Amino acid sequence: MKGMRLLLLGCLAVLLIAAGCTTTQQATGDVGILYTKGTGPMPTLLATKQIDGYIAWQPFVEVAPVAGIGRVITYSGNLPPDDRWKNHPCCVLTSRTDFMNSNPAFVDAMGAATILATRYINDHQSEAADITAEWLAGKGNFTYGNITVSSVEILERSFPTVKFVNEPSEQWMGGQLEFVYALRELGTITGTLKNTTDDQTKALLFDTGPYDRAMAMINASSIAVPPAEANPVGVGYLLSDHHASLFVAVKKWQYFNDTYGIALKPEDPTATRPDLVDLLVKGQKVATLKLIPADAGPQLMQLAATKTIQMAYVGNPPAISAIDQGTPLKILMALNNEGSGVVVVTSSPATDWDSFVQWAKERSAAGKPIVMAAPGKGSIQDVMLRYALEESGLSVKEVQA
Amino acid sequence: MRRPLGILLPILILIVWEIAARFINNQFILPRLETVLPVLLSPTIDILGTGSLLHNAMVSLERVGAGFLVALAIAIPLGVGMGWSRRLDALADTTIQLLRPIPPLAWGPLAIAWFSVGINSMIFIIFLGAFFPILLNTIDGVRAIKKTWVEVAQTLGASERQVLAKVVLPGAAPTIWTGLRVGFGIAWMCVIAAEWLPGTTSGLGYLTLYAYNFGQMHYIIAGMITIGIIGIAFDLLFRSVEDRWFCWRGLER
Repeated sequence: MKGMRLLLLGCLAVLLIAAGCTTTQQATGDVGILYTKGTGPMPTLLATKQIDGYIAWQPFVEVAPVAGIGRVITYSGNLPPDDRWKNHPCCVLTSRTDFMNSNPAFVDAMGAATILATRYINDHQSEAADITAEWLAGKGNFTYGNITVSSVEILERSFPTVKFVNEPSEQWMGGQLEFVYALRELGTITGTLKNTTDDQTKALLFDTGPYDRAMAMINASSIAVPPAEANPVGVGYLLSDHHASLFVAVKKWQYFNDTYGIALKPEDPTATRPDLVDLLVKGQKVATLKLIPADAGPQLMQLAATKTIQMAYVGNPPAISAIDQGTPLKILMALNNEGSGVVVVTSSPATDWDSFVQWAKERSAAGKPIVMAAPGKGSIQDVMLRYALEESGLSVKEVQA
Repeated sequence: MRRPLGILLPILILIVWEIAARFINNQFILPRLETVLPVLLSPTIDILGTGSLLHNAMVSLERVGAGFLVALAIAIPLGVGMGWSRRLDALADTTIQLLRPIPPLAWGPLAIAWFSVGINSMIFIIFLGAFFPILLNTIDGVRAIKKTWVEVAQTLGASERQVLAKVVLPGAAPTIWTGLRVGFGIAWMCVIAAEWLPGTTSGLGYLTLYAYNFGQMHYIIAGMITIGIIGIAFDLLFRSVEDRWFCWRGLER
């Protein structure tokens, strides 16, 4: 089978060359991209020299330098072209539309809890990093050979590289549209968003109503009590500090309850990573939330498509793809901007983007193009790395396993 | 003499492991023994906020127990039926042969859609792992019952129900037990895979996968060793029951 395929490819190449239609790219080198379905395998692949670097979301960017296996050459906001990715949108809060329509007050309250937690993160960054280290690793230590590092230290390194914001501003929506264009180019958008105008796309993607109403309630210092939910509400999230607003809202529930009259109270206060929390508004229990973590966004969107979860903290491309594929879902607000980074293996001569590009070109010219890992095709990290590489005169080839 | 020999190889492996780990000096390829042993020796200490080794082992065992019991409850009656009645066998055999080669984990996406995230999806996957070995061994066991035994019972005036309960089931029990032993082993493997499904927050499988994210290979290996030890323990348990109750199988000619 494989031999046959190679033979066919060979014939095709000969035909193309004979016909004079070899590609006319100006690219001066190739870079391979390997998709690892989330961040899990990245440190191992890097440490065993199977990849030359990776692009990931935090805190997995910091794992490489701390473990002594890699070096961060740039964070995502500084990727070329200049200012193109400054404040780039990243994770978003989403809800199924049928759920929003039947439980509008609940969704508004969740919006308010998220906004208040984001404010808390920005005012208490070090405490928020601490809370996130507890959620992600029970504040445990990571051991890398002779090196032992506290998870708190890793999170404290990663937190300043993430910008926690919620406002679904026009500029932010513009940034989201960039991802729609990129996903169209990648060929992963094939459904309702395939040929829409920008206005149509925005109408399909966003519903900023919950954000506006949540802000109004916060400004009026009074959160409306939603009707009680009969069934538990599924809320998905990723184990990343991008979703710290959820962790902070749960771990600091007492503070939010006392200060604002809204809280996500864990049913088991001793759990490091609670999976059942109660939404309390003005001291009344409104609903039980089932918090469901996943390895990557597409998994969460599958859970949303099957109604296993009603709301999700998730990266924007998986949300865009889900809407494109017909999942009744809306993006309600931002959770964070930026917060990803590019890592290269310690033995690489690259120290910044320019020297990275030079290294990639040299390796390509020597017939051994570098291989970079990305969490998944069409992920934020994949899109940004592709754009940045192409901007720097490198072409991207998917590595086939 | 067998015991000391059986212990010798694991000790050798440990020595070679430690030498190799020092030589390779890359904990992602092979972490040193001294990073793994403390994890195993303090099984009640929390790991990365996921709970202790002991706690996660118990969680995994509960899941396997539940899936295994469901498999047993369905596979044994169905197996006896298929082994006893040619018509039932003809009806069900093709379907079972069709479903059997599908790896339980391939059912993951459907399991989540049908049973939603959590324990029910995992039980379904464990059930699939344990079901087929139990079923096939039960069918074989029933078919291998000597015709003469059944005929003797019938001549003495036993009803079909009595034949099944007093001759067929006890006669097939050793083979069924082998099916249970194999089924439990496969179920134990499946729980690890089932715990890789999204939405899981505990269990030995989840623990190893979660440690992977942070490159914590020593936790992964400690988890693997625990999985192995529990696997052996249950296999020994099944075997000792086999030796005690079903030793007549070898004697009967």
